[in-house]
Order: sequence, then structure tokens, then C-alpha cells
Amino acid sequence: MEVTNAPLSPESDPDLAVGLALVRKARRVRLIETLKVGVVWFALLALLTFGLLQLRFDPPYIVQNAYFVLRGVWTTIWVSVVSIFIASVLALFGALGRLSRNPIAQGISSFYISVIRGTPLLIQIYLIYNGLPQLGQQLKLLGYPQLAQLLTLDAFQAGVLALSLNYGAYMTEIFRAGLQAVGHGQYEAAAALGMTRWQMLRRIILPQAIRVIIPDVGNQFIAMQKDSALVSVMGVWEITFRATRLARKDAKFIEMLLVAAALYWILTIVSSWLQSRLEKRMAHAYER
Amino acid sequence: MHTNGNPIVRVQNLHKWFGLLHVLRGISLEVYPQEVVVIIGRSGSGKSTFLRCLNLLEEPTSGRIEIDGVAVEATDGELLPESRARIRDLRLKTGMVFQDFNVFPHKTALENVIEGPVVVKGVPKDQAVEKGRELLRKVGLLDKQDVHPIRLSGGQKQRIAIARALAMEPKVMLFDEPTSALDPELIGEVLAVMKDLAREGTTMMIVTHEMGFAHEVADRVIYMEAGMLVEEGPPDQIFTCPKDPRTSQFLARIIESGRLV
Repeated sequence: MEVTNAPLSPESDPDLAVGLALVRKARRVRLIETLKVGVVWFALLALLTFGLLQLRFDPPYIVQNAYFVLRGVWTTIWVSVVSIFIASVLALFGALGRLSRNPIAQGISSFYISVIRGTPLLIQIYLIYNGLPQLGQQLKLLGYPQLAQLLTLDAFQAGVLALSLNYGAYMTEIFRAGLQAVGHGQYEAAAALGMTRWQMLRRIILPQAIRVIIPDVGNQFIAMQKDSALVSVMGVWEITFRATRLARKDAKFIEMLLVAAALYWILTIVSSWLQSRLEKRMAHAYER
Repeated sequence: MHTNGNPIVRVQNLHKWFGLLHVLRGISLEVYPQEVVVIIGRSGSGKSTFLRCLNLLEEPTSGRIEIDGVAVEATDGELLPESRARIRDLRLKTGMVFQDFNVFPHKTALENVIEGPVVVKGVPKDQAVEKGRELLRKVGLLDKQDVHPIRLSGGQKQRIAIARALAMEPKVMLFDEPTSALDPELIGEVLAVMKDLAREGTTMMIVTHEMGFAHEVADRVIYMEAGMLVEEGPPDQIFTCPKDPRTSQFLARIIESGRLV
């Protein structure tokens, strides 16, 4: 709560002066606590570094080769951004299917969710990257070369498709909860105005649901940045692929994997920060 | 008393079941243009369900509803297929004001009011804005046009909801206990807007517990009990010498609680 009565000042109002002093003190205490936690973090990192240095850890190698791994950050971000976007669209339709009374929509949606959630992401990646082209070969023999081409994806496309399908299934529940969080009265008010289901969804329900959904989608995005490491198995030149490639060549596993880990860590910290800013911006209509 | 020609609302033998509960038991009613009909009765008598059936927020189990030439019909718990296609047409004939306001929280007051005309009717935005501002002025909230509902009081929200419904230029306004969720000191401002509408000749059907208001604005008062229309008549007659013992019993209880002022 902010103080709205402008003429009040600490000089004229002793209560306000006391209150302000208390708030300042509480803030100071919190700051000191945060600083202490920071010191512990620093100590843990120092301890880890010291231990590693005792075991022939090779910092100069990191300095020389970090840039090679760093260049994969862009690919990791790109794969994740495209995938979270497609996954959100899939999740929206998945959620609409789940909430629909149409048995076909319900069937497709629940089948999709069950299959994807019941199988490992790594298997899905292999199926899409290696399995689909095999089917494509057969289709080619049957005389459908265009279909065969459609099923043969490059590593990037296959990675994005796998991540999108996988996260879309998990995020269906998030979108379903978001749609259901919008009060029944909002549906009724929109219906009473004569809106079609689509108008209702687009103009009234989704804008309100998105506010509920955004934090969870943000968490999924952060998780996906790390799961995107799995697409390295197909040779997409992202962080993990680049790091393990050098690590194998020069037998510098600790060095390169720590670089990769640090980059993911930084990515998630930046993403969390962006997420909280976005949430604040979207709260605008709901601030008194 | 009905000098305004043909009825604009015509309900025939309306039934509604909720599971094993027979909520509406054969309601037939005609409402004439410019008429203000107030429906009273205790909680659970089916008043709200009846009103919500009129714009198909509840699907009737059986019976026929016709509003300004648009008719829907249900039998055996199902709307006839051609009736289903007319649900939106019927809703465009009615404007509804809810007990809980149901204003759109992500839109400003003005955006709430122009949403229907722009999105549903395809009215050009500048025209809708002009009309919307006019309606906001009418409900006394022009100065709040750019404010989001969270910063408005319940009475202000409800007046916006009224303006939003009016913006669609409905043939009949349906009010479902419009002041029941309001703090006592905010009820007056909403009733005042409704009185203005009545004076201007808006056709209205109102479910309310505000007996003084009913007495003042109604052309016809209907007492409902157990899903049936028990008695109807001009307010003076219903409130001073009801014919049915059930009506007088209900009114006696209301007077005891001090609400008939």
C-alpha cells in the first residue's frame, strides 16, 4: 500500500515517522540476511574451485575454449523459444480438447497427452529424427516422394518438433487450469452479449487466463532450456553438443561440462528475471 | 392495461429440471413492449432460473420462448436443432445484468461497454466509442471511462454492466437480482439508473428483493413460488391486497424483516 494523502509528511505526523523508521529497519535486516546468504554462496563456489584446482583442473583451457561453447547459447535459446511457442499453441488446443464436450476432440487430446507423458523425451527425439525417415523411405517406395521428404527432418527441426510435442502435452494441464480459473460469470456475461465461442475465448477468457498461465509457462520455458540439451544427441550445435565435442576430443570433461552447466545456469537466472518483469507488466489492469 | 400491441416476450409452458429437481413447472407469460415486470418470491422459487432461461444461459427442458419474433423450443430436455441455431439471435434480443456484475476485469469501463457492439455486431470503433461514452454518461460514470473495474465500487461496476448490456440495444433488459451483492449504501445508485430506464420506456424483466423499488417502477408484479407463477397484478394490488394466501404470507414475512418501505 502506498501513502496516498499527499499533505502528510514525517515532520507533521509522528505516526508516519515511526512507521517509516520501522519499515527502514525491516528493510535493513532483510538486506543483511540476503548478504549473508550471498557470502555462503561465494564460500561454496570458492571451496569447489579450490578442490578442483587440487585435482588438476585446467582453467586456461576453459578460457581458451569457452567461446566455442558460448556460440551454442544462441542455438539453445532459439530452439527453446521456437519450441515453447509451438508448445503453447498445442497446449491451448489440448486444453480446449480436454474441456470440450465433443468426443472426438476429447479423444484426440487425451490420447496425445497420455502417449507423450507416458514415454521418454529421448525416445521421442529418436523416433522423430531416426524413425520418421525410415517410414519415409517406405512411402517413397510406395510412390509418395513428397510425403517422404516431409518426414525427413533435419536435426534442428526434429529437435523443435520433439520438444514442442513433449512440452505441449505437459502444458495442456497448465492451460486447462488457466481457462478454468476464469470465473463462470465471465463466460456467461460474454454469452449474454451474443458472442460466439471463439469470440468469447479470444476476447474475454484467454486474456484473463494468460495472466494465470504466464508464471507456469515461464517455469516450463526454464525447464525446456535445460531439456533442450537432449537435442545434442542429433548433432544440433547447441551448448551441450559443443561442450561434449571438445570434452571428448581433449579429455577435458570437467572443464567443458562445467562451462556448459554455468551457461545453462546463467540462462535460467536471466529467464527468471524476465519472467518476473513480464508478470509485473501484465498485472497492470489489476492494480488499484 | 396493455396498450402497446403484441407481446414482445412470449413464454409457453416452460419447464426446467436440474437432475431430479423440477425447478420450473410450466411457466407461461407474456410481456409487452415498454412494460416493466418485476418477479418476486423467496430464494429457490426459480425466479433466477426463469430469467436465465429467457436468454438460454440455462437450456429449458421443455417449452417455448419467443422474443421479438425469435423463437426457440425444447422438448424432452433437448432444444430443437433449428432452435439451437437461434440461440445467439435470441441473446441479441436480450440484455442481461447479473447479480455479481461480471464486468470484464481486463478491460476499462469504456472497453467493457463497446466490447459487444464492436466484436459481436461489427459496429465501427469510433461509433461504438461515441455511443459508449453516451451510455457511461447516462449511468453517471463518464469520468471513469478509462478506469479498470478493480478500482470501482460494486455499484459502479453494476452500472457499467447495465451500460454494457444497453450498448447492444436489446429489446428486453433482464435484471437478475442486480442489487443483491451490493452494500446497502450502494443500492440506491443502481436502482436510480434502473428507474431512469423504466421512465424511458425500456422493456424490463427484473428479479429483485427490493420491494419498495418494485412498488415504484413495476407495471406488473409477479409472485413466484415452487417454480410456478402464483399471482400477478399491478403493484398496488399485489402489495396491498394480494389474492393468493401464499403471496400474502410471503409479503408478511418481508414486511417483518423491514424491507417493504
